[in-house]
Amino acid sequence: MTEYRYRPTSVDNRPRVRTGKPAWRKRSGVSLLAILASCVLGGVILSISFLWFQTPELHRSEKTSVTNPKSQPLSSVEDSTKTKSIKHKITINQPAGPPRIDIGLTSMHGEKLSVACSTCHTTREPNIANRSTADLDEFHKGMSFSHGNLTCLACHNPKDYDSLHLADRTAVSFQEVMSLCSQCHGTQRRDYDHGAHGGMTGYWDLSRGPRVRNNCVDCHNPHQPKFPKMNPTFKPRDRFLESHNGEHHE
Amino acid sequence: MTVDARTDPMSAHPVRNYPKFLWWALGEATNGNLPFYAWMLALTAIALVGANAWAVQVVDGMIVTNMTDHVSWGLYIANFTFCVGLAAGGVMMVIPAYLYDDEEMHKVVIIGEIVAISAIIMCTLSVLVDLGRPDRFWHMLPGIGRFNWPMSMLTWDVIVLNGYLLINLHIVGYLLYMRFLGQRPNPTWYIPFVMLSIAWAISIHTVTAFLYCGLGGRPFWNTSLLAPRFLASAFVSGPSFIILVMRVLRITTGYTASPAPARLLIQIIRVAMTVNLIMLASEIFTMFYTGGSHLAAANYLFFGSHGRSGLVPWIWTAIGLNLIGTMLFFTKSALERSPARILACLCCIVGIWIEKGMGLIIPGFIPSTLHQIVEYTPSLTEWKITAGIWAVGLIVMTLLLKMMISVQKTREVLELHVE
Amino acid sequence: MNSSDSPSSPSKPPLPILSILDNGSTRRTALKGVAMTLGLAAFGKAIWPLTTIPENVSVSEFLQQHYKELTEDDKTAVFKRLAAETKQQYGADVTISDQRPIPGVKFAYAINLSKCNGNGKCMEACNKENNHHRGVDQSYIRVLEMSKGSLDLGKGTTTFDHTVPQDDKFYMPVQCQQCDNPPCVTVCPVEATWKEEDGIVVVDYNWCIGCRYCEAACPYHARRFNWEKPELSAEEVNPNQGYLSNRIRPQGTMEKCHFCLHRTREGRQPACLEACPTGARVFGDINDPESDINWVIKNKRVFVLKEELGTQPSFFYFFDS
Repeated sequence: MTEYRYRPTSVDNRPRVRTGKPAWRKRSGVSLLAILASCVLGGVILSISFLWFQTPELHRSEKTSVTNPKSQPLSSVEDSTKTKSIKHKITINQPAGPPRIDIGLTSMHGEKLSVACSTCHTTREPNIANRSTADLDEFHKGMSFSHGNLTCLACHNPKDYDSLHLADRTAVSFQEVMSLCSQCHGTQRRDYDHGAHGGMTGYWDLSRGPRVRNNCVDCHNPHQPKFPKMNPTFKPRDRFLESHNGEHHE
Repeated sequence: MTVDARTDPMSAHPVRNYPKFLWWALGEATNGNLPFYAWMLALTAIALVGANAWAVQVVDGMIVTNMTDHVSWGLYIANFTFCVGLAAGGVMMVIPAYLYDDEEMHKVVIIGEIVAISAIIMCTLSVLVDLGRPDRFWHMLPGIGRFNWPMSMLTWDVIVLNGYLLINLHIVGYLLYMRFLGQRPNPTWYIPFVMLSIAWAISIHTVTAFLYCGLGGRPFWNTSLLAPRFLASAFVSGPSFIILVMRVLRITTGYTASPAPARLLIQIIRVAMTVNLIMLASEIFTMFYTGGSHLAAANYLFFGSHGRSGLVPWIWTAIGLNLIGTMLFFTKSALERSPARILACLCCIVGIWIEKGMGLIIPGFIPSTLHQIVEYTPSLTEWKITAGIWAVGLIVMTLLLKMMISVQKTREVLELHVE
Repeated sequence: MNSSDSPSSPSKPPLPILSILDNGSTRRTALKGVAMTLGLAAFGKAIWPLTTIPENVSVSEFLQQHYKELTEDDKTAVFKRLAAETKQQYGADVTISDQRPIPGVKFAYAINLSKCNGNGKCMEACNKENNHHRGVDQSYIRVLEMSKGSLDLGKGTTTFDHTVPQDDKFYMPVQCQQCDNPPCVTVCPVEATWKEEDGIVVVDYNWCIGCRYCEAACPYHARRFNWEKPELSAEEVNPNQGYLSNRIRPQGTMEKCHFCLHRTREGRQPACLEACPTGARVFGDINDPESDINWVIKNKRVFVLKEELGTQPSFFYFFDS
């Protein structure tokens, strides 16, 4: 039986002598152990459940790994490619035809006059000695040309200047210029055919809509095919981010 | 002459007398001397300034802070991290008092629990003001919202912080109420909670550390040493703060404890601070010796990089303060009531606040995940809100401490004397 | 002895209740009353700005449930309300759709680093398509100018402003990688962000509480926070909006690249891909053996960023040679 005694605080600083454990200790020793044990056990159980929740995501991603695209997708519904029956068109831009040069004159009816390549080139023999624009006497003189070691007649057809020709000298129209580019630039054409070159607008899913592709000459000037430099015109203005214009960092 | 408490008419019914207790507490809150009124008025004013700044932040958006998509956590979370440490520090009084039967410490352990309550309230407020949509707070409530437990460490943090607050509120409330009634506190009602709070205190700071150290995208935080470092620094900042509180109590109210508890706390601080410094040295070595991804943030923090060095003065000040504080703690006069002790406490509290805030949270974001450097200094709004949070915490702490002292002065305390 | 109430008796000390009336100081009580009234008034004034909140947040928005819990009727009501709010706040008529994933599809994206020249048209297209905040020209994409010979992001910069491409640099756009093991999904305390069946990690902007834990967790700087209300004029608003994608996001919520799911789940290309002038971007269904993206992954030497973090991105990079 415990005894109570009134005692004011902060006055009596006599050292206290404890003989044996306080009463509450005897009762709560077990509760202490129980609480600590349950905490540890709880922590272990929760950690295991934590890890268990984590792993299914890893399993899921293995199933759809990039090296095995035929594997089961995340949803168990049938692969959409099997249900694709409609295939929309892929339209590839084409030049309208052989280029015409505007001569700056108008007809009596007010139409702008232009000439075709053959207008001049049927009046003279092709000169295979010309290897660059510097060799020319007239016209085309100022044209910039930078396409490897090619000469004019590598692509232009001397038999019909309103068309081009392939390496085996088969004539191709200007509309089919891509087949000419592809002869030397086969890798780019291969990439292009798989959507990895030249961009596109439209649908990635051709069962739902069409797609429009660029022609080679839409981006690459055949006489100076290197893709032109550009100026970035749009920059997000992140707060407090200072500009480093071309500085090199260590 | 012994009197059985059960014959005391005032101990009749704990539930029916509770309103009296609350009314008395209100009286305590509004009764005092002039310094008390001045103190509470100043704190209220600061709290109101903070509340207003927060209201503006909620309406205008967090653009009024200086946080960005690069440094997306700032002063609020830094303060939160420090306050969790303060709350955990109370356990360094509970362990000696209840596990080692240190009777002198037993008399003052309630101060540690009161500091813990105030600190947890500050933590909760710090997180609340950091939310972009505090009106959507109910989304976190399990049952009516969606509580992403156990995956999200924030949910663990919510559980452990609220749990710790409830445990300490219960313990302190129960003890104060029992003393108010003149009854002997029934051990079954508070001892198990005290034991729970020991393990729980460790958990609050561990979980908070896990918030940061589990993120692979932040290599500066992604170290297994983060949780132990947090605990070590918490066991310095918490007891230091408690020693300062006790000193202020002695100066303002004449409440004097025996010198033994503070001496024990100093000894604990000595060990914890040494461990903290060893861990810091270990981190510095690993980061700088290996180099690599962990180095970028450390480089920026300690030496600056790419021409930016905003945090450099802060971290070296923090290290300096921590070293000075440690040396002061190891002097002989720190074990006595001396200016050295107070200075050491102040040095360590400030040093650890800087180290946790500018030395840990902010460098986790600099450089960003795309290795851009965007610096961060808190805006005026953030300082106002943080000051308001501290004011609220200090108000709560002042009131609870006042109630504690008052109960011990006006009502003779029943002491348990065991044969 | 029982009726005695004297403080000097050791057996029955009085309870210190009603101590404020002990001294009978009514002046102090009156002062306290005045002070408390003033305090309450000051508090009311302090938080008065909060009274503007009901203008921007309706009761039905406040009570709105998580996206996954909404029935079809709920969704119709929500979209109607959102369209009305957009009309009222931005002056634009919009339609908000709820595109669900195409069954069996898993999206992947690849960028050809030999082709990207850093022109940034993708960022601009993203900004326009996704009704971004014009105040900062926000975009989900950041284009890094990197030094040739190194993939060290520390040597990269996003703030370059000169003619591109520079000879000693290559350019790498970074946006949400739609990871298969997304750290942002793991850390969200309210499940406001999750990964859908077609691989896109989405955000329910009306559920997000704005804690920005996901922004801290993301290793790719993919997530953006709405620090303020997005500003855009009625003409700039893209009216084709998706609930989980490009509708105008509320202040205080997180957002991120969503592979333009309001377009891609209809089979269309994302806006960034269509805008790219160099054709550096490839997008499609990785589960389709005949898709472009599948070909790229099988035939080009692809890599991912920060692979060591185990996030398993669905976003790949490759060089031509």
